[in-house]
Amino acid sequence: MNLIRDVLDKQVLDRDQKKLGKVDGLVLVFGKGPPRVAFIEMGSVVLARRLGPRFGRVVARFCTFLGGEGAGEPYRVPWSKVKDVGIDVEIDLAIADTPLDDWQEWLRKKLLRRKARA
Amino acid sequence: MKKIFEISLAIVTSIGGFLEIGSLSTAVQAGVGFGFQLTWAIVLGTICVIFLVEMAGRFAAVSHHTIPDAIRERFGFNFFVIAFLTVAIVNFLVLSAEIGGVGLALQFATGVSYQWWAIPVAFAAWLLLWKGTFGLIEKGVSLLGLITLCFVVAAILLGPSWKEVGAGAIPTLPDHDRAHYWFLCVSILGASISPYLFFFYSSGAIEDKWDKSYLWPNRIIAVLGMSFGGTIAVGALIVAAMVFRPRGIEELSALYPVALILTPQFAFWGFVLVTASIGIACFGAALELALEQAYLVAQGFGWNWGEDLPPASDPGFNLVHTAAVFLSALPIAAGLDPFKLTNFSMALTAASLPVSVVPFLFLMNDEVFVGEFRNGWFGNAGVLFVIALGFVLAVVTIPLQVFGS
Amino acid sequence: MAVREVHLQQVLGAVVRDRKGRRVGRLEEVRAEAHGAHLEVTEWHLGSYAAFERLAAWSIGRAVLNLFGAAGHAYRVPWDKLDLKDVKRPVLRCPVSDLEVID
Repeated sequence: MNLIRDVLDKQVLDRDQKKLGKVDGLVLVFGKGPPRVAFIEMGSVVLARRLGPRFGRVVARFCTFLGGEGAGEPYRVPWSKVKDVGIDVEIDLAIADTPLDDWQEWLRKKLLRRKARA
Repeated sequence: MKKIFEISLAIVTSIGGFLEIGSLSTAVQAGVGFGFQLTWAIVLGTICVIFLVEMAGRFAAVSHHTIPDAIRERFGFNFFVIAFLTVAIVNFLVLSAEIGGVGLALQFATGVSYQWWAIPVAFAAWLLLWKGTFGLIEKGVSLLGLITLCFVVAAILLGPSWKEVGAGAIPTLPDHDRAHYWFLCVSILGASISPYLFFFYSSGAIEDKWDKSYLWPNRIIAVLGMSFGGTIAVGALIVAAMVFRPRGIEELSALYPVALILTPQFAFWGFVLVTASIGIACFGAALELALEQAYLVAQGFGWNWGEDLPPASDPGFNLVHTAAVFLSALPIAAGLDPFKLTNFSMALTAASLPVSVVPFLFLMNDEVFVGEFRNGWFGNAGVLFVIALGFVLAVVTIPLQVFGS
Repeated sequence: MAVREVHLQQVLGAVVRDRKGRRVGRLEEVRAEAHGAHLEVTEWHLGSYAAFERLAAWSIGRAVLNLFGAAGHAYRVPWDKLDLKDVKRPVLRCPVSDLEVID
């Protein structure tokens, strides 16, 4: 497969076919033998780095400020978790097991429940 | 039978959903300033949008991707950011103009300034987006938009020289006020060939779960729906030419006189029809634009999205259309003139065309996305023409904005 | 041998030069194949970069580039013939004449 054409920027679906995000980055590991695809990276920090390293650092600091330590790091999915690469990239994880939905979960709890109480 | 009903409904909603503040305002200004002479610009814009809308529907039905999604996937995030920011900024301005249009209609009806209506209109739009389904928004409001057919009826009743109207469908050079003529031409094309129209159409096709069996219905909807919709804009141009010019009005500096444009034919009901037409058409367009902002963000970043999903399933998507509609209301609430904003945003839309249409050309020829259903020479020629037109418009828009608006 | 991580999206578009410093092309694509549980890189593709990050409608993309005289050559580079120690300045490990041209 072509990594840039067929994987990078593709939609990622979890094991329940829910949208997680896009393949924002790919990590290759160089060691003995051919380089291997080790991880899919997802998250705003990865995207920001694609626009520029300085912008990436700013976004990372902002994410850390909002979400605490660790929030400024990209989320990595090991390539071993990838089930299928077709129209979308399907991974063997549930969205609830990842931090990718945390901000939407915060919206559900803070804004929607408040509205429901009203 | 079900498909025939669906096609008929889709054509009808395309007609009802065609007219909005941009196409109405530019058509009326064209009629007032130049009689029937700018009919060709509306015809040209309609033909271009037929090409793009048909392709957008075909692309979505075959690839199961929307255009923003595919732009990110095929061209990468860095290019997507450029296209996204361009389209989002243009959408923001047009959405403001549409909210202003609804505000104006309410001002006509109540006498209360459009500024005061901006936030209530935004709230009403938000409520419908929050509680409503895609079908209700797309079809329900657009069906109400059929009221804009009053312009076509009025145009027929006015009994214009159809030979002269036909002559206006052929491009001619103006004999006066050239900068203004070409500025209106650019604005009409911007109003007709808005990127949000064909982006939204591709999202709608996915919302309605189109597949390859919808290819022919899509073609019929695009041709008939857009053609009849363009006819309404021509109707507005004819009415403006025949009502205002004989009364010595050859230029509009605001939209207020439009409130009386149908009174010669329908008396008080003419005022009601215009007010309702502007209000409903602009409200429908505002809903579509707010949704389109949310589609752009959600599809570009891979979030869950869908107007038919409950807000808890896609809170990010709902947050974006909520923010879009309220932020866009602010310029109008602050007193920005909807008429000037409409002219500016339509010209900017025209100038931004290359950014959205060029990647679309590549997508429509991509074997992986559309396979055997990719563009033939005719489709590519059409898109290339739109791109060339877009580049010309991009170059001339700013000087014309300065000298011709 | 130490294991090193490289972010693919940061290598994308990097200008690849030969040992003499002459420009060969830009890194446009990476081909990989599954070997057991791993996905291993088999070759790198070099080409012109033009206005878009990747003109993946390959035939029409090259057609447009050819129209503007910007197409140049596109090459297949086996995985071990590209030195990516400096991801910003990748260097070819073999002569350009050894590379297969992509049509």
